[in-house]
Amino acid sequence: MTSKLLYYSVVVTVASLLFSCTPKIVATKFYEENEKVLDKIEITYKDLSEERSFAIAFTSKDFKTVSVEIYTDTLKYIYDFEVNEPRLADTLTAYNLNAPKVIGLIGMMQSIRSTWIKNLDYYVDGKKNEVVFLSIKPVAVKAPLSYQKYYILAYFNQQQQFDSKGRLLDKKQKRRLRKINGEVFSRINDKVCYAVSGNFR
Amino acid sequence: MRLFLLTVASCFFALAVFSAPISFRDSYGKEGFALSPATGVTSTAQQAVEFIDSIKTLAPSTYWPHVNPAAFLQNVKENVLKPILIYPGIGTNFCGYGALSYLLLQDDPLGYARFMVKLYTTGRAQFGNSDVDPSDPIKKQAGQMRYKGVLDIHPADQLWFLSLADHFKGYLNIFNRHYDVGDEDKFWASVNLAKFNRMARNFLHYKLGSRGSDLIRPHLSDTYQYISNRLQRGKVVLFINNRIVHKKNHERVKLKVPTHFIVVEKISRQDDLITLVYWDYGGKTLMQLSPRFLRRIIFAIVDLKKEAGDK
Repeated sequence: MTSKLLYYSVVVTVASLLFSCTPKIVATKFYEENEKVLDKIEITYKDLSEERSFAIAFTSKDFKTVSVEIYTDTLKYIYDFEVNEPRLADTLTAYNLNAPKVIGLIGMMQSIRSTWIKNLDYYVDGKKNEVVFLSIKPVAVKAPLSYQKYYILAYFNQQQQFDSKGRLLDKKQKRRLRKINGEVFSRINDKVCYAVSGNFR
Repeated sequence: MRLFLLTVASCFFALAVFSAPISFRDSYGKEGFALSPATGVTSTAQQAVEFIDSIKTLAPSTYWPHVNPAAFLQNVKENVLKPILIYPGIGTNFCGYGALSYLLLQDDPLGYARFMVKLYTTGRAQFGNSDVDPSDPIKKQAGQMRYKGVLDIHPADQLWFLSLADHFKGYLNIFNRHYDVGDEDKFWASVNLAKFNRMARNFLHYKLGSRGSDLIRPHLSDTYQYISNRLQRGKVVLFINNRIVHKKNHERVKLKVPTHFIVVEKISRQDDLITLVYWDYGGKTLMQLSPRFLRRIIFAIVDLKKEAGDK
C-alpha cells in the first residue's frame, strides 16, 4: 500500500513538473513554426493601425465572437461581432478602417488561434515607445487543475537588452527586469519576446 | 481549519454587505467651500491654473525625494486642464481613486491643486475631514513607479494615488495595510464600495446616494431608467464586474464580484440596445450592451448631486 502511494506521488510530481515547464519551451517552438504567419499578422496590424488605432480580441472560446476596439481622439468604441456578420465590415468602414484588410487580419488571427492584438505604450527614460502585443491560445493538452495559459508575443521596434537567462531588461537600470502589462518577457530574438500568462490581455 | 475559513468568509460577507448599506442617503456637511452659481462647480480650472502659475519656483521636497518639482507642477497643471487624461496605470488597483480624481478635477480643481502643493511641500495635507499623512515607504516610492504606462512619467499622479491608497482603508485592505513595492497591484490598493463612498464624501462637494453593495446587486425594476434619471441631475459612478465586460481569459467560471469603478458620461436606449459612454483609465469608452447584461455587471450605483447652498 505504502509503495503504491509512493509510486503514484512520484508519477504525479513528475507529470506536474513536465506540465509546468512545457509552455515556455512550446512558446518558442510555436513562434519558430509559425514565424511567417505571426510576423505577417504583426506587419499587417502595424500598417493598419497607423491609419486608425484599434485592437482585436477573440472573446469566445470557439473563436467566433470578435471584439473590436476602435480609438478616436475623443472616444474608444467597443463592439462585439460574430466573425461573419456583415455589420463588422460596415462598422470598420464607418471608422475609416480598411475593412477588407482588417477582416483578412481577423481571419489570420483566427487561423492561428490568436486571441488579442494591440499596440501598448511603454516608457524608457521618459520617452514613449510602442510594442505590439499578440496573444495566442495554444491547443496543447491542458494539465488537470491548471489554469489556462496564453503565449504572449511582444514585437519591439528596437533591439532589446536581455540578461544571461534571456529575460528582458530595463535599459535604464540594466539589472532590473522590465515588466510589460505585468509580465516578465523572455527572448525569442533581438526584437521579439514572449511570456506565458494566465490572461491574454 | 474549515470552521476558521467559514468564519473568515462570513466576516467578509457581513462587512461587504453591512459596510455598504443597500440604500442610503446622507447629507453633505462640510466647511470651506461654496458653489459657483454660474457653473455649479466648487472652483474652476482657471482659478487652479492661476494658483499654479503664481508659484514661481517650487523647491525640491525633502519628503518626496524622487519627485521632481517642475515635473510635479506640470503634471498637476495638466490634470487641471485635462481631467479626462488622468491615468491610474496599467495593472494597478487604482481605478476607484481614478474615478474619484476625475470627478474632483471637474468639481474642485483649485482644491485639488492646493492640496497637492501642500502635500508636496510639507509632506502632509488636509482635505475635508481627512488629514493625509503618507507613510515613509509611499514617500520613497512616489516618482519611481515603472511599467504602468503613462503613469511612469506622471510623478504627481503617483504621489496622489499612493497617498490616497495609504490613507483610506477598507475591509479589503485588512491583510495588507502597509505598503511594499508592487502593492499598488494588490489588495493593499483595493477599494470597496463603502471606502469609495467615504472618499467621495470627503473630497467631493456633492450629496451622495448609493444603491447596491460589494456582493449583492441592487434590486431595481429598470436599471437603465434609474441611471438615466440620476445622470440628469448629477454624476453617476458604477461599481461593475469588469471580468465579464473586459474579458481577459476564456474561463467559464468567473467570480461574481465587482472589480472596477467607472464614471458614467452618457446613457441612451434604442429598442433593446443600451449605449453607455463612460470614463475610466484616462479616456472615454462607448459600449453597447443589452439591458440584461447591464443589470448583470452592475453591483452598485453611486449618484452625486449638487444642491445649491450646500455647505
